[in-house]
Amino acid sequence: MKQGTPIVEVKELRKVYGKKAVVKDISFTVGKGEIFGILGPNGAGKTTTLEMLETLRPIDGGSATIDGYEVATNHDKIKAMIGVQPQNPAFEEKTKLSELIEFFSAAYGEKVNPKKFLEDVQLLDKADSYVENLSGGQQQRFSIAAALVHGPKVFFLDEPTTGLDPQARRNLWDLVRDIRKRGVTVILTTHYMEEAQLLCDRVAIMDNGKIIALDTPQKLIKDLLKRGFTKKQHVEQADLEDVFIDLTGKDLRE
Amino acid sequence: MSKSSLRRSFVPISTFVRIDVKRLFRDRVAIFFVFVFPLIFLFIFGSIFRGNDEISFRVALINESQTEFATKFSEKIKNNSVFEVDEDVTTIDQAKEKMNRGQMEATIILPPEFGQIDPAKQYPTGQATVLYDQSNETAGRTLATVLQEVFKGVNKQFVTPSPEPFTVKAESTATKGLTQFDYTFAGILGFTLLSLGVFGPTTIFPRLKQRGVLRRYHMTTLKVWQYFTGNVISNSIVGLMALVLMFTTAVLFFDLNMRGSYFNLVFVVLLGTIMLFGIGLALGGWAKNENQAAPLAQLVTLPMMFLSGVFFPTFLMPELLQAVTKFIPLTAVIDSIRLIITENASLIDLAPQIGIMAAWTLVIYIIAFRVFRWE
Repeated sequence: MKQGTPIVEVKELRKVYGKKAVVKDISFTVGKGEIFGILGPNGAGKTTTLEMLETLRPIDGGSATIDGYEVATNHDKIKAMIGVQPQNPAFEEKTKLSELIEFFSAAYGEKVNPKKFLEDVQLLDKADSYVENLSGGQQQRFSIAAALVHGPKVFFLDEPTTGLDPQARRNLWDLVRDIRKRGVTVILTTHYMEEAQLLCDRVAIMDNGKIIALDTPQKLIKDLLKRGFTKKQHVEQADLEDVFIDLTGKDLRE
Repeated sequence: MSKSSLRRSFVPISTFVRIDVKRLFRDRVAIFFVFVFPLIFLFIFGSIFRGNDEISFRVALINESQTEFATKFSEKIKNNSVFEVDEDVTTIDQAKEKMNRGQMEATIILPPEFGQIDPAKQYPTGQATVLYDQSNETAGRTLATVLQEVFKGVNKQFVTPSPEPFTVKAESTATKGLTQFDYTFAGILGFTLLSLGVFGPTTIFPRLKQRGVLRRYHMTTLKVWQYFTGNVISNSIVGLMALVLMFTTAVLFFDLNMRGSYFNLVFVVLLGTIMLFGIGLALGGWAKNENQAAPLAQLVTLPMMFLSGVFFPTFLMPELLQAVTKFIPLTAVIDSIRLIITENASLIDLAPQIGIMAAWTLVIYIIAFRVFRWE
């Protein structure tokens, strides 16, 4: 997929805690309508990078713009433009899903019809349930609905599929693709390589606060093979997850 | 700010309030602490302070009159088993001091003109005054009635003209016609508003922070002032509901005498609720977790409860402490509620209390805004 006009531009972005730099002058751009993945082991600086772009952490060096606005100096503009799915989405208890959707849109000064948003994530029948009574996958889907109430241009998801079963994970991938179809740019972090390969147009691999590779998944694999890499094992045509999905089906369990 | 953007900035507040009040009624624990617990408190204290049927009274008799009748009358009182006359007390100041300490219930004063023979009427007349302390109102009033009966007997020896030559006038040292319960009720109400305002947010906010709920709000364009205002309004609505419930209960079960204006009562209760909630907002908004918030909440509320006259009247305290207690936020709330209920105080009468509350509210909210953290 070719990269469209850049909507997110990051130049030499830096974050320092005490004396330790956790994000070290990273640069990348994300095109409009792209699904961009940030991969890396725990502690690589993925979440910190997202949080700086989301205005939640002060930027210690370099610059980041979203749709032309400097993140560091336009918090309100940026917040109105982005949707955020945090790593562990949490909502107030004893509150109906429809009420939470109403509240989140109200937080942006808007009034919406909660049913439409719940329908988009297949939760219309749960409109009167409380979040604490939903399954893990349902909670993730609800959290996505809540993040999109104000029609953001860029959607950040931090490890959206961690802890989900294979069915729920696939369902979430479909949902993310749907969101992209509506013209929303998606930036997500993950440490599932399969997910990155199937879902992302381009990925940045981070380690120790630096981006050590950035390209389409296919290109990264090709480059690796060019360097003479061969897998030690014979590559099977299917793996255990394929078996699991084949046996249990793709239908959501909740 | 244009009109439509102004309206937009109130959308979060009105939506939050509507949902937040509904949410409270879904939470059994919250219902217990907001409505049931204060009622239990009300019934316990109400029962303690209602029953008060003493038969004998410890009194001082101050006879300022030189008349023969006054001397005879004094003897009569001293010999009456209903009265236990403290012979050591000879001045009003001594009497007041003893009443303050609760060592005596009342003082009977026979003024200098008591028992003088009215040249026009040819028989002695006079008015005795019964002085009693506000904390012992029941005793004072009963005593007045007993004296009235004594006088009726005396009056009958003379012609029965009207007005009766000897009458008794009951007069509290502080407020007129105050029952013990009327006095206590303001304290119970103040205590309820305090726990609603402080214990609520110091439990809820840290919990929401730990779960990341407030952090999630921070990712939206929601502003601290909007979140605060929403919380203040929903807390005030709940506070007024608790007031209505307690007030109705007090009137129905404990014969509360409401002498003042309901408008004034609602006004001071609202102001008090907003002020006390600000304390909770500041502590809960600052604390990162419940371990930080809980001891702080205790540290602030306990001294306030003891120094503000919820549990015992402030006049029992040393003078220096009494001077300080006036400026404690909760004291202003309780005093103004008490003065409205028992003395029909107007908002102008309550200017000092309202001023103290307004000043505290300003200070508390400035602090709350400064120390608030979303996570």
